[in-house]
Amino acid sequence: MRHVLLQTSRLLAVILIPAILAGCHSSPEPQFRFNRVALLKQEKTDLSEGETYPADYQQEIGNVLTALYGTPDQPRFPFPLGAEDPGHEVLSLENLERAAGPVRTDKLGRTAGLYRELCSHCHGITGDGFGGTAPSLSPYPRDFRLGKFKFKSTPLRRMPTDEDLDRIIRNGIPGTAMPSFRTLTDEEVDALVDYVKYLTIRGQHERRLIAELGNLDGEPFMNFDLLQENDPQGQQVDEETQAENLEEFQAQMYMVVGEYLGEDILSRWVEPEDEISSVEMAPAAFRLDHPAHSNLILQGKSLFYGKANCVQCHGETGLGDGQTTNFDDWTNDWLKTAGVSYDDPASYNDFLQAGALYPRPIIPRNLRIPVFRGGNLPSDVYRRIANGIEGTPMPSSPTLSNEEIWALVCYVKSLPYENEGLPRDELPVNERVVD
Amino acid sequence: MQKSFLFAVIILGFISMPLVSDDGWGSLKGKIVVDGTLPEISKEKIDKDQASCLSDKPAPDDDNLLVGPGGELKDAFIMMYRKSSDPEPAVHPSYEEAKKTPVVLDNKDCRFVPHAIFLQTGQPLELRNSDDVGHNCHIITFNNEENVNLAKQDTVKITFSDADKTPGNVVCDIHSWMDAVILVRDEPYAAITGSDGTFEIKNIPAGTWKFQFWHKKTGFMKKLDVPDYKVGKIKADIEVTIKDGETLDLGKLTLPASSIKKK
Repeated sequence: MRHVLLQTSRLLAVILIPAILAGCHSSPEPQFRFNRVALLKQEKTDLSEGETYPADYQQEIGNVLTALYGTPDQPRFPFPLGAEDPGHEVLSLENLERAAGPVRTDKLGRTAGLYRELCSHCHGITGDGFGGTAPSLSPYPRDFRLGKFKFKSTPLRRMPTDEDLDRIIRNGIPGTAMPSFRTLTDEEVDALVDYVKYLTIRGQHERRLIAELGNLDGEPFMNFDLLQENDPQGQQVDEETQAENLEEFQAQMYMVVGEYLGEDILSRWVEPEDEISSVEMAPAAFRLDHPAHSNLILQGKSLFYGKANCVQCHGETGLGDGQTTNFDDWTNDWLKTAGVSYDDPASYNDFLQAGALYPRPIIPRNLRIPVFRGGNLPSDVYRRIANGIEGTPMPSSPTLSNEEIWALVCYVKSLPYENEGLPRDELPVNERVVD
Repeated sequence: MQKSFLFAVIILGFISMPLVSDDGWGSLKGKIVVDGTLPEISKEKIDKDQASCLSDKPAPDDDNLLVGPGGELKDAFIMMYRKSSDPEPAVHPSYEEAKKTPVVLDNKDCRFVPHAIFLQTGQPLELRNSDDVGHNCHIITFNNEENVNLAKQDTVKITFSDADKTPGNVVCDIHSWMDAVILVRDEPYAAITGSDGTFEIKNIPAGTWKFQFWHKKTGFMKKLDVPDYKVGKIKADIEVTIKDGETLDLGKLTLPASSIKKK
């Protein structure tokens, strides 16, 4: 009997101890999540209904990305030209290491693993905007992988500057769940800025590779067999063929890194400062104590209802109730796939399964509340009007003059205080200015 | 080891390809026709600014699927298919002048006119608003985004610096039924079918090229029947040989109606 007990306890020990140990200190290393939404969209675009790309395509994209960008614990970045690589102007590996990985104290006694500690709950380990809290937040946390940013000093389709990202991290975004991280040191913010860029570039590259799937004709992106000295039958490959194979491999490598990443993505990230749009001087009447200030407000009001078109979306009342049936680009990216319709939830169930967040219309800003997501400096509001807001229906206004934009800034900044104190239902609906 | 490869490879990539056609120029033409019963074409749902947009007219048909009485398919794209690693085609001198001429996209009666446009990188796109109501012109393609505010009777010129592989969308966020299709390419070799379903691409450098077929309602037309040619299963491409001074007529290209998506 005793013998049997001993045997059983030994058996239990063999089974349990490793399990307990594993539970104690090594939860599985987090992995980047594959962009299944982009793949599904590509399949629906490229293939016949119900067809899918073979699973090894997904595996290969994963392999290529891991080779170039490492893992959430061990980030890497492709600097193919070594120390001379222009990628160094975009981000530094040292910053990535500081931001990546589990929360810990590094060799210099500094806090490391900042992204996981501060950002991943909402933005997700992958930067896909699908952290644990995401479905319950409004607006949803930013999915970086589209490479689009709303609040920046550069125009549409130009990347934000480090300064722009720094500002968002330090100030947060009022009116959303994005808090201020003002207590971080400059170094820590720098590390996070680079890490956000890293996740964005990785996500853009992934989308770029997925978009190329239809062009592969069944071949891999990079065929490592071309580097073998022996063919699959074990025969030595002659020198001439080896040279040809090497050339082909180099061409594949050039596509994946030189073109899809370097030319298509990274080139836009180098020196975005050159693209900053200027904010010209405000007219003297912009000052609150200037005698012509109220005229400037009236000019802005007339533009709001007329030439500047604001009323179409922000509504007759400025309450943001004009156009409420649009979606932002992060949603439209898959919602606009042929065969998908917002009115028919069954048509996009598979996208939700693949990891898309439930589509919610984008509501124009209620201008009666003095909360400005992109910053409340007059120059911030100026840029929103002049450049538009990337990824949203808010358009740029190239036909408005500098003075007209300032008049609008003036009017918009005055809107929250117009008729302040009156009960809500007595707020006069603004009379349309007839021109 | 991989790093040294990359270095060599990137240098190689900068060697530019010759852009002059020694072998002359030829044309490509054909006609796309839909065969079978079409899905019911819905009316546009005009639920805003009716006074300016409709002016007592009945709601128009959805312009994403315009088919003539004989099945002639309008607004299908025929475009050169080139992997990024393939050589760039030579450009015929006649296109140099054409590239300076703006492509016009008008907002008229709250529709985009024309419904489908093609332009080259660097070529001006003139956005017009002929309506008495404000619009915005929101252009979203894989590589480009522009969103221009257009007050009534406004005109704005823009250009694109990046080419796209597939056509993208133009929408007006204010009037949800308004949409158009746009293709931006580096090379001039693309065409859009007219209301008679025909297309012609002129002055293609002589040689062997791939062309592919696309429509908003089908995506790449994988089921398109091109007499005497094999259509690629994924990218709906055919390989054609263009000869100097000759026009290659593909004849009547038939698309089964079943490949048209309903939404």
